[in-house]
Amino acid sequence: MASSAAAAAAAASAPTRTEVLALFRSLLRTARRFSDYNIREYAKRRTIDAFRHNQNLSDLSSVSTAYCDGMSQLKIAQRQALVYQLYAPNIKNVMEIKTAPRNH
Amino acid sequence: MALRAALLRHVRVPVRALNLTGRTSEQLLSGFGSLFRSMSSHGDHITREEVIERVLSVVKSFPKVDPSQVSPEVHFQNDLGLDSLDNVEIVMALEEEFKLQIPDLEADRIDSCNLAIEYIYNHPMAG
Repeated sequence: MASSAAAAAAAASAPTRTEVLALFRSLLRTARRFSDYNIREYAKRRTIDAFRHNQNLSDLSSVSTAYCDGMSQLKIAQRQALVYQLYAPNIKNVMEIKTAPRNH
Repeated sequence: MALRAALLRHVRVPVRALNLTGRTSEQLLSGFGSLFRSMSSHGDHITREEVIERVLSVVKSFPKVDPSQVSPEVHFQNDLGLDSLDNVEIVMALEEEFKLQIPDLEADRIDSCNLAIEYIYNHPMAG
């Protein structure tokens, strides 16, 4: 009884394909808003790696667990993007400088 | 209101009287074509060739894509063997290239180079 109730609950809360893609897109958009180059690139890389790692999950409970983890990470990232913006340094990171090619 | 009217009167461009000296209307229009929209802010919309070139360069620089297979009609999932996550990544890369914000509904629809080029070319803010 308890396990079937739990299974029904998991089935009810399993995210659809559209929701998963929407979470992926929201995470990437939030990553873009970081002012610091390093954390921005890390957030993008980590999102892509995590979604690839969980790509082939088949049972509903692990899918919904992964989805809930993703949602909480999204909220963390959104708050942190704000905090980073409040204390952003004025100097650009060296990787963001677009230099013209030099002729030696 | 009076100040605004006075300013407008000062700034307003005087209307030129056209000389209809027997030329056809088409010639007149082509002669004055550049003058008609010289004050318009819509004249510098991006050309279709530039859209195609930039879209193809974004798709070619995607690490999982084989650049020799990329053409303006290619489909991301059917021809290039990408999956839906790669699709989202490519649309995000296109957003960054053209400085656009593509809403999720439209972004889900874009799954080939054709659709991407059409959408970006028809977007008024593509830069």
